[in-house]
Amino acid sequence: MKGIIRASTAIVIISAILFYAVHLLESSSATSGSGSISVYNWGEYIDPELISQFEEETGIQVIYETFDSNESMMTKIEQGGTSYDVAMPSEYAIEKMKENDLLLPIDQSKIPNLENIDPYFLDLPFDPGNEYSIPYFWGTVGIAYNPTLLEGQTFESWDDLWNPTLEQEVILVDSAREVIGMGLNSLGYSLNSTDLGELREATDKLKTLGPNVKAIIGDEIVEMMRREEAAVAVTWSGQAADMMWINEDIDYAVPEEGSNLWFDNMIIPSTAGNVDGAHQFINFMLDAEVAAQNADYVGYSSPNAAALELMDPEVTGDERFYPTEEMRDRLEVYENLGLEMLGVYNELFLEFKMDMEK
Amino acid sequence: MAKLSKPAKIYLAIVFFILYAPIFYLIFYSFNSGGTMSGFENFTLEHYAAVFNDTRLLIIVLNTVIVALLSALISTAIGVLGAIGIIFLRNRKMRNAVLSLNTVLIVSPDVIIGASFLILFTMVGVKLGFASVLVSHIAFSIPIVVIMVLPKLQEMSSSLIDAATDLGASQRDILTRVIIPYIKPGIFAGFFLALTYSLDDFAVTFFVTGNGFATLSVEIYSMARAGITLTINALSALIFVVTLGLVLGYYFFNQRSAANAGTGGPRP
Repeated sequence: MKGIIRASTAIVIISAILFYAVHLLESSSATSGSGSISVYNWGEYIDPELISQFEEETGIQVIYETFDSNESMMTKIEQGGTSYDVAMPSEYAIEKMKENDLLLPIDQSKIPNLENIDPYFLDLPFDPGNEYSIPYFWGTVGIAYNPTLLEGQTFESWDDLWNPTLEQEVILVDSAREVIGMGLNSLGYSLNSTDLGELREATDKLKTLGPNVKAIIGDEIVEMMRREEAAVAVTWSGQAADMMWINEDIDYAVPEEGSNLWFDNMIIPSTAGNVDGAHQFINFMLDAEVAAQNADYVGYSSPNAAALELMDPEVTGDERFYPTEEMRDRLEVYENLGLEMLGVYNELFLEFKMDMEK
Repeated sequence: MAKLSKPAKIYLAIVFFILYAPIFYLIFYSFNSGGTMSGFENFTLEHYAAVFNDTRLLIIVLNTVIVALLSALISTAIGVLGAIGIIFLRNRKMRNAVLSLNTVLIVSPDVIIGASFLILFTMVGVKLGFASVLVSHIAFSIPIVVIMVLPKLQEMSSSLIDAATDLGASQRDILTRVIIPYIKPGIFAGFFLALTYSLDDFAVTFFVTGNGFATLSVEIYSMARAGITLTINALSALIFVVTLGLVLGYYFFNQRSAANAGTGGPRP
């Protein structure tokens, strides 16, 4: 019995010491000041130095937390019990959150740095007038490929994927709207199409791609391309940038028929406890120098025009990741098609996947 | 014990190699200056330096350890008393029913436990964070402790208690000087199992964390979305070494108490 009591006391003392250590670490990382804010972001989607810089400049302590999908983020916010002040969802999630009253309006008078943002990225269909959201990063859907494995073949058109020499070489991202959208685009239709005839045609065309498809997967795409286990992948520009970071042979192209343009945005959830601090944080992130440093770290495309001027022209002049406005005119933002239409997309995607197994 | 035959030894070596290879692969690349898990370039300790420079990561590690230690301690206390209660239930049917309920908690998927805790906490209005994680970890550890302690209690002869009563021991003496010393190995086994369950739990914690509180498994999962950095490798290597130390410590502790038991005499 003595031994057990001794062991228990030891554990309690160790826990107390650890508690004290956590407390010391927390107070050393934050300067004393007016309150704190909670930021809820994708993993590895901000330069941690900027958080310390924000804490030093404003005296507001940042509690930083990460999520891995729009869905899990929305669930956390919807359930309550949390008080996130800033979050960074994708555009379709914003429409959904707006419908469910999970957002607070943003007071633009408190965000003077908004003028740094390229007007092209403001007032988009998913949030007219930027009432609830401010763009954070953006990108496209396109084709990442490794020319050394393909004898120099390049990709200008979605139709290049159908080339018979690519048998068992193409990876697709496991997402209904991206894949069906690619089918629609390759036929010259809008990727927001709700015309059942067009959708059917696109699915039938996708089915003929079957022999070329190696796999339909998620985040593993990056590793597979890096290790040269596959030569071609339909994916998001950010993932392509991740691949190229490691494997310099890889190239990325947005097909000429058009593709998807996506945005991750900063929003203030309805559960926010420190709305003022949230505005300060958003304004801070839009500062030209801050945004430039962040874009440099994260590697996605920044919508911040003032930041782009400060960045390496080799990066910002790269038309694969910063397509010119003329090229962007061919790109479309996903519109909220409603639950019923999304069901149709999912069903057609499933039909395509089932067809592959034959 | 008969010596192992050669094929048996080779088989054993292969099995252990397969079990440990991924861990050593991971540790090996934590020293890679190349920055990825493919192609070893040069030896470097920069990833270890990065671990100690990232205060957020350190806080998360410490929080994970605190939750594990406290939840294991509290659940062991509750679980041991629960097991003693169960074993002394007179009604056989009742005892079996309670035992089955305990087993159901062990086999039910973590996701369900996590989701139901989330609903409970938000309904009651508990703020998600350290407390909610600690409470849920205690809850899923208790059945494990009960299972670890029960066999020891079952093998204990009831005449021991009768003898103690005959010799004038009070209820309290019986508990602290007869039962608990007897089941001590079970208690420690239960504690260590609860500790490891809490350390590597992902599903339940994922549901009940919030407001800036995170444990290591949840954090690594979020980081993995953008590809695992070698900082995680370095951290895993450190944790592996610490765990190894713990296991060795436990082993020597056991050796010593086994030696004590061998020399006879009452144990304190």
